Amino acid sequence: MTPARILAVDDTPFNRRLLVRLLEGIGHEAVEAGDGREALERLRDADAQPIDLVLLDIEMPEMNGHETLAAMKADERLREVPVIVVSSVDELDSVVRCIRAGAADYLPKTVDPEILRARIEASLAQKRLRDNERDLLATIERQRSQLARFLSPQVAALVSSADGEAMLAGHRREITAMFCDLRNFTGFSESAEPEEVLGFLRAYHATMGTLIVEHEATLEHFAGDGFMTFFNDPVLQPDHAARAIRLAVAMRQQFATLSADWRRRGHVLELGIGIATGYATLGRIGFEGRYDYGAIGSAIILASRLSGEAAPGEILVAARTFAEAEGDAVIVAESGGDRTLKGFSRPVPTYLVVGLGEAAGDLGSAVEGVSR
Amino acid sequence: MTLDAEAMARLLEITGGDQAFIDELVDTFVDDARTQIEGLRAAASSGDTEAVVRPAHSLKSNAQNVGATLLAELSRSLEADARAGAIPDLTARIDAVEMEFGAVSAALRADRTRD
Repeated sequence: MTPARILAVDDTPFNRRLLVRLLEGIGHEAVEAGDGREALERLRDADAQPIDLVLLDIEMPEMNGHETLAAMKADERLREVPVIVVSSVDELDSVVRCIRAGAADYLPKTVDPEILRARIEASLAQKRLRDNERDLLATIERQRSQLARFLSPQVAALVSSADGEAMLAGHRREITAMFCDLRNFTGFSESAEPEEVLGFLRAYHATMGTLIVEHEATLEHFAGDGFMTFFNDPVLQPDHAARAIRLAVAMRQQFATLSADWRRRGHVLELGIGIATGYATLGRIGFEGRYDYGAIGSAIILASRLSGEAAPGEILVAARTFAEAEGDAVIVAESGGDRTLKGFSRPVPTYLVVGLGEAAGDLGSAVEGVSR
Repeated sequence: MTLDAEAMARLLEITGGDQAFIDELVDTFVDDARTQIEGLRAAASSGDTEAVVRPAHSLKSNAQNVGATLLAELSRSLEADARAGAIPDLTARIDAVEMEFGAVSAALRADRTRD
Protein backbone atom coordinates (compact mmCIF):
# COMPACT_ATOMS: atom_id res chain seq x y z
CA MET A 1 0.00 0.00 0.00
CA THR A 2 1.25 3.48 -0.88
CA PRO A 3 1.21 5.80 2.15
CA ALA A 4 -1.19 8.70 1.67
CA ARG A 5 -1.50 12.11 3.29
CA ILE A 6 -4.88 12.19 5.00
CA LEU A 7 -6.66 15.18 6.54
CA ALA A 8 -8.70 14.26 9.64
CA VAL A 9 -11.39 16.90 10.23
CA ASP A 10 -13.17 16.75 13.59
CA ASP A 11 -13.93 19.38 16.22
CA THR A 12 -13.51 16.91 19.09
CA PRO A 13 -9.89 16.50 20.19
CA PHE A 14 -10.66 12.94 21.33
CA ASN A 15 -11.80 11.89 17.85
CA ARG A 16 -8.93 13.67 16.12
CA ARG A 17 -6.30 12.05 18.34
CA LEU A 18 -7.85 8.64 17.85
CA LEU A 19 -8.09 9.04 14.05
CA VAL A 20 -4.53 10.32 13.79
CA ARG A 21 -3.33 7.41 15.87
CA LEU A 22 -5.24 4.88 13.72
CA LEU A 23 -4.06 6.45 10.45
CA GLU A 24 -0.44 6.41 11.55
CA GLY A 25 -0.92 2.87 12.80
CA ILE A 26 -1.86 1.73 9.27
CA GLY A 27 1.04 3.61 7.67
CA HIS A 28 -0.53 6.87 6.48
CA GLU A 29 0.48 10.43 7.24
CA ALA A 30 -2.19 12.28 9.24
CA VAL A 31 -2.93 16.01 9.17
CA GLU A 32 -5.54 17.53 11.54
CA ALA A 33 -8.17 20.23 11.21
CA GLY A 34 -10.66 21.30 13.92
CA ASP A 35 -13.48 22.39 11.60
CA GLY A 36 -14.47 22.85 7.95
CA ARG A 37 -12.95 26.30 7.59
CA GLU A 38 -9.59 25.11 8.89
CA ALA A 39 -9.81 22.07 6.60
CA LEU A 40 -10.47 24.19 3.48
CA GLU A 41 -7.61 26.51 4.41
CA ARG A 42 -5.26 23.55 4.63
CA LEU A 43 -6.60 21.98 1.41
CA ARG A 44 -6.17 25.24 -0.50
CA ASP A 45 -2.74 26.03 0.92
CA ALA A 46 -0.53 26.02 -2.17
CA ASP A 47 2.67 25.89 -0.10
CA ALA A 48 1.65 22.78 1.86
CA GLN A 49 1.92 19.19 0.62
CA PRO A 50 -1.27 18.14 -1.22
CA ILE A 51 -3.89 16.11 0.68
CA ASP A 52 -4.82 12.73 -0.83
CA LEU A 53 -8.01 12.04 1.12
CA VAL A 54 -10.25 13.71 3.73
CA LEU A 55 -11.93 12.08 6.73
CA LEU A 56 -14.80 14.44 7.52
CA ASP A 57 -16.91 14.78 10.67
CA ILE A 58 -20.44 16.09 10.07
CA GLU A 59 -21.34 18.10 13.22
CA MET A 60 -18.78 20.86 13.65
CA PRO A 61 -18.82 24.54 14.67
CA GLU A 62 -17.79 27.25 12.19
CA MET A 63 -18.33 25.12 9.09
CA ASN A 64 -20.00 21.71 9.29
CA GLY A 65 -19.38 18.63 7.17
CA HIS A 66 -22.16 19.37 4.65
CA GLU A 67 -20.87 22.89 4.02
CA THR A 68 -17.28 21.67 3.77
CA LEU A 69 -18.20 18.95 1.28
CA ALA A 70 -20.21 21.42 -0.84
CA ALA A 71 -17.29 23.88 -0.85
CA MET A 72 -14.88 21.12 -1.92
CA LYS A 73 -17.14 19.95 -4.75
CA ALA A 74 -17.53 23.55 -5.96
CA ASP A 75 -13.74 24.00 -6.05
CA GLU A 76 -12.18 22.67 -9.24
CA ARG A 77 -8.88 21.86 -7.52
CA LEU A 78 -10.50 20.01 -4.60
CA ARG A 79 -13.36 18.27 -6.42
CA GLU A 80 -11.36 15.10 -7.06
CA VAL A 81 -10.04 14.66 -3.50
CA PRO A 82 -12.01 11.72 -2.04
CA VAL A 83 -13.99 12.46 1.14
CA ILE A 84 -14.96 9.76 3.64
CA VAL A 85 -17.60 10.93 6.10
CA VAL A 86 -17.08 9.84 9.69
CA SER A 87 -20.36 9.76 11.57
CA SER A 88 -22.00 8.52 14.73
CA VAL A 89 -24.77 5.95 14.37
CA ASP A 90 -27.56 8.52 14.93
CA GLU A 91 -26.48 10.58 11.91
CA LEU A 92 -27.49 8.18 9.12
CA ASP A 93 -29.74 10.77 7.42
CA SER A 94 -26.77 13.08 7.20
CA VAL A 95 -24.60 10.29 5.79
CA VAL A 96 -27.06 9.76 2.95
CA ARG A 97 -27.05 13.49 2.24
CA CYS A 98 -23.23 13.48 2.14
CA ILE A 99 -23.03 10.51 -0.24
CA ARG A 100 -25.53 12.26 -2.54
CA ALA A 101 -23.38 15.39 -2.33
CA GLY A 102 -20.35 13.46 -3.57
CA ALA A 103 -18.74 11.81 -0.54
CA ALA A 104 -16.87 8.65 -1.56
CA ASP A 105 -17.81 6.56 1.49
CA TYR A 106 -18.68 6.70 5.19
CA LEU A 107 -17.33 5.21 8.38
CA PRO A 108 -18.79 4.93 11.88
CA LYS A 109 -16.94 6.70 14.74
CA THR A 110 -14.48 4.59 16.79
CA VAL A 111 -13.83 2.69 13.63
CA ASP A 112 -12.02 -0.58 13.35
CA PRO A 113 -8.51 0.00 11.91
CA GLU A 114 -8.91 -2.78 9.33
CA ILE A 115 -12.15 -1.25 8.02
CA LEU A 116 -10.52 2.18 8.00
CA ARG A 117 -7.59 0.78 6.03
CA ALA A 118 -9.84 -0.99 3.52
CA ARG A 119 -12.12 2.02 2.91
CA ILE A 120 -9.18 4.39 2.49
CA GLU A 121 -7.47 2.03 0.04
CA ALA A 122 -10.67 1.60 -1.97
CA SER A 123 -11.25 5.36 -2.18
CA LEU A 124 -7.66 6.04 -3.16
CA ALA A 125 -7.73 3.28 -5.80
CA GLN A 126 -10.91 4.77 -7.28
CA LYS A 127 -9.28 8.19 -7.38
CA ARG A 128 -6.18 6.77 -9.10
CA LEU A 129 -8.41 5.17 -11.74
CA ARG A 130 -10.21 8.45 -12.32
CA ASP A 131 -6.89 10.31 -12.51
CA ASN A 132 -5.54 7.81 -15.06
CA GLU A 133 -8.68 8.08 -17.12
CA ARG A 134 -8.48 11.88 -17.06
CA ASP A 135 -4.77 11.84 -18.04
CA LEU A 136 -5.52 9.41 -20.85
CA LEU A 137 -8.35 11.57 -22.19
CA ALA A 138 -6.12 14.64 -21.96
CA THR A 139 -3.40 12.80 -23.92
CA ILE A 140 -5.86 11.71 -26.61
CA GLU A 141 -7.23 15.23 -26.88
CA ARG A 142 -3.67 16.62 -27.12
CA GLN A 143 -2.80 14.11 -29.84
CA ARG A 144 -5.98 14.89 -31.70
CA SER A 145 -5.39 18.64 -31.65
CA GLN A 146 -1.75 18.12 -32.72
CA LEU A 147 -2.92 15.77 -35.46
CA ALA A 148 -5.41 18.38 -36.62
CA ARG A 149 -2.49 20.71 -37.33
CA PHE A 150 -0.92 18.17 -39.69
CA LEU A 151 -4.05 16.71 -41.24
CA SER A 152 -7.31 18.12 -42.48
CA PRO A 153 -9.61 18.57 -39.47
CA GLN A 154 -12.03 16.07 -41.07
CA VAL A 155 -9.29 13.45 -41.40
CA ALA A 156 -8.04 14.11 -37.85
CA ALA A 157 -11.59 13.58 -36.56
CA LEU A 158 -11.87 10.42 -38.66
CA VAL A 159 -8.71 8.92 -37.15
CA SER A 160 -10.18 9.12 -33.63
CA SER A 161 -13.74 8.16 -34.59
CA ALA A 162 -15.30 4.73 -34.05
CA ASP A 163 -15.54 3.77 -37.75
CA GLY A 164 -12.19 5.42 -38.53
CA GLU A 165 -10.32 2.18 -39.15
CA ALA A 166 -12.78 0.93 -41.78
CA MET A 167 -12.80 4.31 -43.54
CA LEU A 168 -9.00 4.48 -43.53
CA ALA A 169 -8.71 0.94 -44.90
CA GLY A 170 -10.28 2.18 -48.14
CA HIS A 171 -13.70 2.90 -49.62
CA ARG A 172 -15.21 4.17 -52.88
CA ARG A 173 -17.25 7.32 -53.09
CA GLU A 174 -18.21 10.04 -55.50
CA ILE A 175 -16.17 13.17 -54.81
CA THR A 176 -15.48 16.51 -56.40
CA ALA A 177 -11.76 17.19 -56.66
CA MET A 178 -10.19 20.60 -57.08
CA PHE A 179 -6.64 21.43 -58.13
CA CYS A 180 -5.23 24.91 -58.06
CA ASP A 181 -1.77 26.21 -58.75
CA LEU A 182 0.03 29.34 -59.79
CA ARG A 183 0.94 30.36 -63.31
CA ASN A 184 4.52 31.57 -63.75
CA PHE A 185 5.51 30.70 -60.17
CA THR A 186 8.79 29.31 -61.48
CA GLY A 187 9.60 32.62 -63.15
CA PHE A 188 8.73 34.45 -59.94
CA SER A 189 11.00 32.15 -57.90
CA GLU A 190 13.89 32.91 -60.22
CA SER A 191 13.47 36.69 -60.31
CA ALA A 192 12.45 37.38 -56.69
CA GLU A 193 14.64 37.13 -53.60
CA PRO A 194 14.22 33.82 -51.70
CA GLU A 195 12.88 35.75 -48.67
CA GLU A 196 10.26 37.35 -50.92
CA VAL A 197 9.24 33.97 -52.31
CA LEU A 198 8.87 32.55 -48.81
CA GLY A 199 6.96 35.63 -47.66
CA PHE A 200 4.60 35.32 -50.60
CA LEU A 201 4.07 31.59 -50.05
CA ARG A 202 3.23 32.16 -46.38
CA ALA A 203 0.59 34.74 -47.26
CA TYR A 204 -0.73 32.55 -50.10
CA HIS A 205 -0.95 29.41 -47.91
CA ALA A 206 -2.58 31.35 -45.06
CA THR A 207 -5.22 32.85 -47.37
CA MET A 208 -6.01 29.62 -49.24
CA GLY A 209 -5.81 27.54 -46.04
CA THR A 210 -8.40 29.75 -44.33
CA LEU A 211 -10.75 29.40 -47.30
CA ILE A 212 -10.28 25.62 -47.43
CA VAL A 213 -11.20 25.34 -43.74
CA GLU A 214 -14.14 27.76 -44.12
CA HIS A 215 -15.54 25.78 -47.05
CA GLU A 216 -14.98 22.47 -45.23
CA ALA A 217 -12.88 20.99 -48.01
CA THR A 218 -10.58 18.06 -47.29
CA LEU A 219 -7.04 19.09 -48.14
CA GLU A 220 -5.29 16.11 -49.68
CA HIS A 221 -1.94 17.79 -50.13
CA PHE A 222 -0.23 20.99 -50.94
CA ALA A 223 3.16 21.29 -52.57
CA GLY A 224 4.82 24.62 -53.20
CA ASP A 225 2.29 26.65 -55.12
CA GLY A 226 -0.34 23.93 -55.65
CA PHE A 227 -3.25 22.55 -53.60
CA MET A 228 -5.38 19.48 -54.10
CA THR A 229 -8.62 19.38 -52.14
CA PHE A 230 -11.78 17.36 -52.42
CA PHE A 231 -15.37 17.38 -51.13
CA ASN A 232 -17.82 14.71 -49.92
CA ASP A 233 -15.23 12.70 -48.01
CA PRO A 234 -14.67 11.72 -45.23
CA VAL A 235 -17.66 13.91 -44.28
CA LEU A 236 -20.62 13.49 -46.64
CA GLN A 237 -21.59 16.70 -48.49
CA PRO A 238 -24.47 16.13 -50.93
CA ASP A 239 -23.77 19.51 -52.58
CA HIS A 240 -20.06 18.70 -53.12
CA ALA A 241 -19.91 19.96 -56.69
CA ALA A 242 -21.42 23.35 -55.77
CA ARG A 243 -19.15 23.59 -52.73
CA ALA A 244 -16.06 23.10 -54.89
CA ILE A 245 -17.15 25.85 -57.28
CA ARG A 246 -17.90 28.23 -54.38
CA LEU A 247 -14.44 27.57 -52.95
CA ALA A 248 -12.81 28.16 -56.33
CA VAL A 249 -14.63 31.49 -56.80
CA ALA A 250 -13.68 32.60 -53.27
CA MET A 251 -10.04 31.61 -53.92
CA ARG A 252 -9.91 33.57 -57.14
CA GLN A 253 -11.37 36.67 -55.43
CA GLN A 254 -9.01 36.54 -52.46
CA PHE A 255 -6.07 35.80 -54.69
CA ALA A 256 -6.78 38.94 -56.73
CA THR A 257 -6.22 41.08 -53.60
CA LEU A 258 -3.06 39.18 -52.73
CA SER A 259 -1.58 39.34 -56.22
CA ALA A 260 -2.39 43.07 -56.71
CA ASP A 261 0.06 43.77 -53.92
CA TRP A 262 2.79 41.80 -55.71
CA ARG A 263 1.95 43.22 -59.09
CA ARG A 264 2.92 46.68 -57.74
CA ARG A 265 6.34 45.20 -56.94
CA GLY A 266 6.67 43.95 -60.48
CA HIS A 267 5.70 40.30 -60.07
CA VAL A 268 2.75 38.98 -62.07
CA LEU A 269 1.21 35.92 -60.38
CA GLU A 270 -1.99 34.23 -61.54
CA LEU A 271 -4.10 31.34 -60.28
CA GLY A 272 -5.44 28.46 -62.38
CA ILE A 273 -8.11 26.09 -61.06
CA GLY A 274 -9.49 22.77 -62.36
CA ILE A 275 -12.49 20.90 -60.94
CA ALA A 276 -13.90 17.44 -61.74
CA THR A 277 -16.44 15.04 -60.22
CA GLY A 278 -16.38 11.24 -60.24
CA TYR A 279 -15.86 8.09 -58.22
CA ALA A 280 -12.59 7.64 -56.38
CA THR A 281 -11.00 5.22 -53.93
CA LEU A 282 -10.20 6.96 -50.67
CA GLY A 283 -8.23 5.93 -47.61
CA ARG A 284 -4.78 5.47 -46.20
CA ILE A 285 -2.13 5.70 -48.89
CA GLY A 286 1.59 5.36 -48.30
CA PHE A 287 3.79 3.08 -46.27
CA GLU A 288 4.40 2.27 -42.60
CA GLY A 289 5.84 5.41 -41.02
CA ARG A 290 4.34 7.83 -43.52
CA TYR A 291 0.73 7.57 -44.58
CA ASP A 292 -1.50 10.18 -46.12
CA TYR A 293 -5.26 10.25 -46.47
CA GLY A 294 -5.47 10.14 -50.23
CA ALA A 295 -7.81 9.78 -53.21
CA ILE A 296 -7.21 7.76 -56.37
CA GLY A 297 -9.42 7.87 -59.46
CA SER A 298 -9.86 9.35 -62.92
CA ALA A 299 -11.74 12.39 -61.48
CA ILE A 300 -8.56 13.40 -59.66
CA ILE A 301 -6.47 13.08 -62.79
CA LEU A 302 -9.08 15.03 -64.74
CA ALA A 303 -9.14 17.86 -62.16
CA SER A 304 -5.35 17.99 -62.34
CA ARG A 305 -5.36 18.13 -66.17
CA LEU A 306 -8.06 20.84 -66.16
CA SER A 307 -6.02 22.88 -63.70
CA GLY A 308 -3.06 22.57 -66.09
CA GLU A 309 -5.29 23.63 -69.01
CA ALA A 310 -6.77 26.64 -67.22
CA ALA A 311 -5.45 29.97 -68.42
CA PRO A 312 -4.37 32.52 -65.76
CA GLY A 313 -7.37 33.42 -63.59
CA GLU A 314 -9.60 30.70 -65.04
CA ILE A 315 -11.75 28.15 -63.21
CA LEU A 316 -12.12 25.25 -65.65
CA VAL A 317 -14.84 22.76 -64.65
CA ALA A 318 -15.76 19.33 -66.05
CA ALA A 319 -19.29 19.23 -67.55
CA ARG A 320 -20.40 16.61 -65.00
CA THR A 321 -19.40 18.84 -62.07
CA PHE A 322 -21.23 21.78 -63.60
CA ALA A 323 -24.36 19.67 -64.11
CA GLU A 324 -24.31 18.44 -60.50
CA ALA A 325 -23.64 21.90 -59.06
CA GLU A 326 -26.53 23.53 -60.93
CA GLY A 327 -29.09 22.14 -58.49
CA ASP A 328 -27.35 23.63 -55.44
CA ALA A 329 -26.02 27.01 -56.60
CA VAL A 330 -26.56 29.76 -59.13
CA ILE A 331 -23.47 29.59 -61.27
CA VAL A 332 -22.66 31.99 -64.04
CA ALA A 333 -20.57 30.08 -66.55
CA GLU A 334 -19.70 29.90 -70.21
CA SER A 335 -18.65 26.94 -72.29
CA GLY A 336 -15.01 26.07 -72.03
CA GLY A 337 -15.23 23.91 -75.13
CA ASP A 338 -14.26 20.27 -75.54
CA ARG A 339 -10.69 19.78 -74.38
CA THR A 340 -8.32 17.11 -75.56
CA LEU A 341 -6.41 16.03 -72.47
CA LYS A 342 -3.45 13.70 -71.97
CA GLY A 343 -4.65 10.27 -70.83
CA PHE A 344 -8.26 10.85 -71.92
CA SER A 345 -9.18 9.16 -75.21
CA ARG A 346 -12.12 11.45 -75.97
CA PRO A 347 -12.36 15.25 -75.75
CA VAL A 348 -13.78 16.40 -72.39
CA PRO A 349 -16.63 18.97 -72.40
CA THR A 350 -15.89 21.84 -69.98
CA TYR A 351 -17.26 25.07 -68.54
CA LEU A 352 -15.51 28.24 -67.44
CA VAL A 353 -16.94 29.68 -64.22
CA VAL A 354 -17.54 33.42 -64.42
CA GLY A 355 -18.96 33.81 -60.94
CA LEU A 356 -21.83 33.01 -58.63
CA GLY A 357 -25.35 34.31 -59.28
CA GLU A 358 -26.95 36.88 -57.00
CA ALA A 359 -29.98 34.92 -55.88
CA ALA A 360 -30.16 31.27 -54.91
CA GLY A 361 -32.82 28.80 -56.01
CA ASP A 362 -35.46 29.60 -58.61
CA LEU A 363 -33.26 31.24 -61.25
CA GLY A 364 -31.28 28.09 -61.93
CA SER A 365 -27.90 28.41 -63.59
CA ALA A 366 -27.28 31.08 -66.14
CA VAL A 367 -25.13 29.93 -68.96
CA GLU A 368 -23.73 32.61 -71.13
CA GLY A 369 -22.23 32.27 -74.55
CA VAL A 370 -21.89 29.23 -76.69
CA SER A 371 -23.19 25.70 -76.69
CA ARG A 372 -24.11 23.81 -73.60
CA MET B 1 -22.71 5.86 37.17
CA THR B 2 -22.53 3.68 34.08
CA LEU B 3 -19.38 2.84 32.22
CA ASP B 4 -19.33 0.19 29.53
CA ALA B 5 -16.00 -1.56 30.01
CA GLU B 6 -16.23 -2.97 26.50
CA ALA B 7 -15.82 0.46 24.94
CA MET B 8 -12.46 0.99 26.62
CA ALA B 9 -11.40 -2.56 25.84
CA ARG B 10 -12.25 -1.92 22.21
CA LEU B 11 -10.23 1.32 22.12
CA LEU B 12 -7.31 -0.57 23.61
CA GLU B 13 -7.71 -3.28 20.98
CA ILE B 14 -7.88 -0.98 17.96
CA THR B 15 -4.84 0.95 19.12
CA GLY B 16 -2.87 -2.28 19.35
CA GLY B 17 -2.90 -2.46 23.16
CA ASP B 18 -1.14 0.83 23.69
CA GLN B 19 -2.17 1.67 27.29
CA ALA B 20 -0.12 4.89 27.38
CA PHE B 21 -2.02 6.18 24.39
CA ILE B 22 -5.35 5.22 25.98
CA ASP B 23 -4.34 7.16 29.11
CA GLU B 24 -3.68 10.19 26.93
CA LEU B 25 -7.03 9.69 25.25
CA VAL B 26 -8.79 9.58 28.64
CA ASP B 27 -7.05 12.83 29.62
CA THR B 28 -8.22 14.35 26.33
CA PHE B 29 -11.76 13.17 27.08
CA VAL B 30 -11.70 14.65 30.60
CA ASP B 31 -10.29 18.02 29.46
CA ASP B 32 -12.68 18.27 26.54
CA ALA B 33 -15.74 17.26 28.59
CA ARG B 34 -14.89 19.97 31.16
CA THR B 35 -14.84 22.55 28.36
CA GLN B 36 -18.21 21.31 27.08
CA ILE B 37 -19.80 21.43 30.55
CA GLU B 38 -18.52 25.00 30.95
CA GLY B 39 -20.17 25.72 27.60
CA LEU B 40 -23.46 24.27 28.88
CA ARG B 41 -23.28 26.42 32.01
CA ALA B 42 -22.57 29.55 29.98
CA ALA B 43 -25.52 28.82 27.67
CA ALA B 44 -27.82 28.23 30.67
CA SER B 45 -26.85 31.46 32.44
CA SER B 46 -27.37 33.52 29.30
CA GLY B 47 -30.63 31.68 28.53
CA ASP B 48 -29.40 30.84 25.03
CA THR B 49 -31.08 27.53 24.17
CA GLU B 50 -29.37 27.23 20.81
CA ALA B 51 -25.92 27.55 22.39
CA VAL B 52 -26.62 24.27 24.22
CA VAL B 53 -26.62 22.22 20.97
CA ARG B 54 -22.91 22.18 20.24
CA PRO B 55 -21.44 21.40 23.69
CA ALA B 56 -24.20 18.81 24.26
CA HIS B 57 -23.42 17.19 20.91
CA SER B 58 -19.66 17.06 21.55
CA LEU B 59 -20.15 15.73 25.05
CA LYS B 60 -22.48 13.04 23.70
CA SER B 61 -20.02 11.79 21.09
CA ASN B 62 -17.11 11.90 23.56
CA ALA B 63 -19.11 9.97 26.11
CA GLN B 64 -20.03 7.35 23.47
CA ASN B 65 -16.36 6.96 22.65
CA VAL B 66 -15.37 6.00 26.18
CA GLY B 67 -18.52 3.95 26.88
CA ALA B 68 -20.11 6.40 29.33
CA THR B 69 -23.61 5.41 28.27
CA LEU B 70 -25.60 7.39 30.87
CA LEU B 71 -23.56 10.54 30.27
CA ALA B 72 -24.09 10.07 26.54
CA GLU B 73 -27.84 9.69 27.05
CA LEU B 74 -28.12 12.77 29.30
CA SER B 75 -26.21 14.81 26.70
CA ARG B 76 -28.20 13.39 23.81
CA SER B 77 -31.54 14.44 25.36
CA LEU B 78 -30.15 17.93 26.08
CA GLU B 79 -29.04 18.22 22.46
CA ALA B 80 -32.42 17.01 21.17
CA ASP B 81 -34.41 19.44 23.38
CA ALA B 82 -32.07 22.30 22.46
CA ARG B 83 -32.61 21.59 18.77
CA ALA B 84 -36.38 21.54 19.40
CA GLY B 85 -36.08 24.96 21.03
CA ALA B 86 -37.09 24.35 24.68
CA ILE B 87 -35.13 22.65 27.47
CA PRO B 88 -37.15 21.95 30.62
CA ASP B 89 -35.12 21.93 33.90
CA LEU B 90 -31.92 22.98 32.15
CA THR B 91 -29.90 23.83 35.27
CA ALA B 92 -30.88 20.65 37.09
CA ARG B 93 -30.02 18.55 34.04
CA ILE B 94 -26.61 20.18 33.68
CA ASP B 95 -26.04 19.38 37.38
CA ALA B 96 -26.86 15.74 36.60
CA VAL B 97 -24.48 15.77 33.64
CA GLU B 98 -21.70 17.21 35.77
CA MET B 99 -22.26 14.69 38.55
CA GLU B 100 -22.24 11.77 36.12
CA PHE B 101 -19.14 13.16 34.44
CA GLY B 102 -17.34 13.40 37.83
CA ALA B 103 -18.12 9.74 38.53
CA VAL B 104 -17.11 8.60 35.02
CA SER B 105 -13.78 10.44 35.03
CA ALA B 106 -12.96 9.10 38.50
CA ALA B 107 -13.74 5.57 37.34
CA LEU B 108 -11.69 5.93 34.16
CA ARG B 109 -8.72 7.21 36.15
CA ALA B 110 -9.17 4.50 38.79
CA ASP B 111 -8.96 1.92 36.00
CA ARG B 112 -5.68 3.43 35.02
CA THR B 113 -4.08 3.17 38.50
CA ARG B 114 -5.42 -0.35 38.91
CA ASP B 115 -3.79 -1.48 35.65
